[in-house]
Amino acid sequence: MIDKGDNVIEVRNLTKKFGDFTAVDNITFEVHKGEIFGFLGANGAGKTTAMKMLTGLSFPTSGEGKVAGFDVWTQSELIKKHIGYMSQKFALYGDLTVKDNLDIFAGIYGVPPRQSGKRIAELLDRLSLAGERDTLVRDLPQGWKQKLAFSVAIVHKPEIMFLDEPTGGVDPSARRQFWELIYEAVDEGITAFVTTHYMDEAEYCGRISMMVDGRIDALDSPSALKRKYGAASVAEVFEILARGAKRQD
Amino acid sequence: MSPFRYLFIKEFKQFMSNPFMPMVLVLLPLLLMLLVPLAANMEVREIKLTVVDRDCSALSARLVDRISKSGYFRAGPSCMTYPQAMEKMRKGEADIILEIPYGMEKALESGKDMEIYIAANAVNSTKGSIGGGYLSSIVSDFSAELSGREGHDASVPLKIVPQYRYNPHLDYRLFMVPALMIVVIILVGGFFPTLSIVSEKENGTIEQINVSPVRKRDFILSKVLFYGILGVFAFTLAILIAHFVYGLASHGGLAEIYVGAMIFLVFMAGFGLMISNYSETMLQAVFMMLFFVLIFMLMSGIFTPVSSMETWSQYVTYALPTRYFVNILRAVCLKGSQFSDLAFDYAMLSGFAVVINVLAVVTYRKQR
Repeated sequence: MIDKGDNVIEVRNLTKKFGDFTAVDNITFEVHKGEIFGFLGANGAGKTTAMKMLTGLSFPTSGEGKVAGFDVWTQSELIKKHIGYMSQKFALYGDLTVKDNLDIFAGIYGVPPRQSGKRIAELLDRLSLAGERDTLVRDLPQGWKQKLAFSVAIVHKPEIMFLDEPTGGVDPSARRQFWELIYEAVDEGITAFVTTHYMDEAEYCGRISMMVDGRIDALDSPSALKRKYGAASVAEVFEILARGAKRQD
Repeated sequence: MSPFRYLFIKEFKQFMSNPFMPMVLVLLPLLLMLLVPLAANMEVREIKLTVVDRDCSALSARLVDRISKSGYFRAGPSCMTYPQAMEKMRKGEADIILEIPYGMEKALESGKDMEIYIAANAVNSTKGSIGGGYLSSIVSDFSAELSGREGHDASVPLKIVPQYRYNPHLDYRLFMVPALMIVVIILVGGFFPTLSIVSEKENGTIEQINVSPVRKRDFILSKVLFYGILGVFAFTLAILIAHFVYGLASHGGLAEIYVGAMIFLVFMAGFGLMISNYSETMLQAVFMMLFFVLIFMLMSGIFTPVSSMETWSQYVTYALPTRYFVNILRAVCLKGSQFSDLAFDYAMLSGFAVVINVLAVVTYRKQR
């Protein structure tokens, strides 16, 4: 299904400008099948904008990109069939129940009803949301909402899941649990593309890219980056890179 | 099951999850249909009349008596002079002044013509002109009687007998009630789908839809169909009220009415969805919708007949789909017209409905 080697995402010189402002500046990278790719950067570095171009929500200004083998310019609707997406801002129907939300999105992605029932039961179980299947989503605590958004992103077993700040606003122990869920999904064969600004989470990723002012300034495995910059942690690597940053939070 | 089915079920569940919206759906036609026809009655009664009786004869007294018995006028105390009466009109105590000249009785007895003077306050133009009309017809009736009785057969004035077809009693409610049925459709059919999409934008849920492979036409159609059904429900309520409360018996078939209403609802939903495609917030959408809804209501012959508009604006009404639906509803209800009589209106209405919905799908952008 992937046309070139085992890359599920290939991006060349991708750029997005809003007027004079270059949100994403000429980025180039690949994501391999089955890996956890960490997309790191400060707030406002351009992570979400880049992700929106890859998920077919936004057109690039220039450059090329292929996701799951489909072109971001011309085949965005085909890309959408093969990916799952968890928005940074909670984007599910608060006035519907947990079960309704899962049913609807499984249906929209064309999961056959017989399979979707099983899949939804299994996901609710895995996320310990089984007791909340008939709760209105708006009544769930923040952390649970995020778990639900995550399960919606993988209900149809996509090739790639795009998770935009999945652990934002969640306490550290819940964050670790969340990463366990991500690992489980990756074990199912889903490639993970995760943005975060928590540098400690970078250690959970196979490879990470560091975005500063819309550019990717570094890309490698966490250990290779630490070696290269002589740093004790990924946070330190990021500090070294971010010194040159012009954009403020 | 296709994605469309899921989207439709989603609309239904969302609608039912908040009791406010179903309540609006029921109360809006109910209140509109029950309250407005009672309050906004354009029939002219209770016209305040001031008589300046300079003749003070038996004949003038008979004329005044005759006028007050007509039931339209409430005669206040007579004034001695015209300036006094004008003063009353200025204060708003008189709508119409009737001046009976000195020597009327004598002049008529000797077979001479006399002129009676009527002055109407046209600040409220309907009251002024209709009241003036009533009064002059009473006076001419009166004079015809006089001349008849006194043997001047030759001078009996020609009487104009107006014959109002299809609404013989000129009952204002017969005009108002179908108009309000259209207002119900415009409000329910237009605003509900608009608000539903814009609230998906405000809550961010549209992003989760846009990042899914759902087809644009499925998404738009799920809204058009669902809110179309709600519109039919509200319209049915309006029809029931029209029938059981106002006794408005349609002369034509329900099929003609419902087919017209459904096409029009499809138009309104598509129109609302197109507006919401261009609005980021609820406020923006509501104002934009209100602007068009007012034009639809005021320029399509709902409250004021198209035929009495300025010529240029009569041409403009051809570009308003409401015009065709208003035509259909009035013609079917009052005249019993059938599909074949109204083919042009149905065709135009359908044309608008198709075009606007295609535009709604095209202007909905999943990728920006």
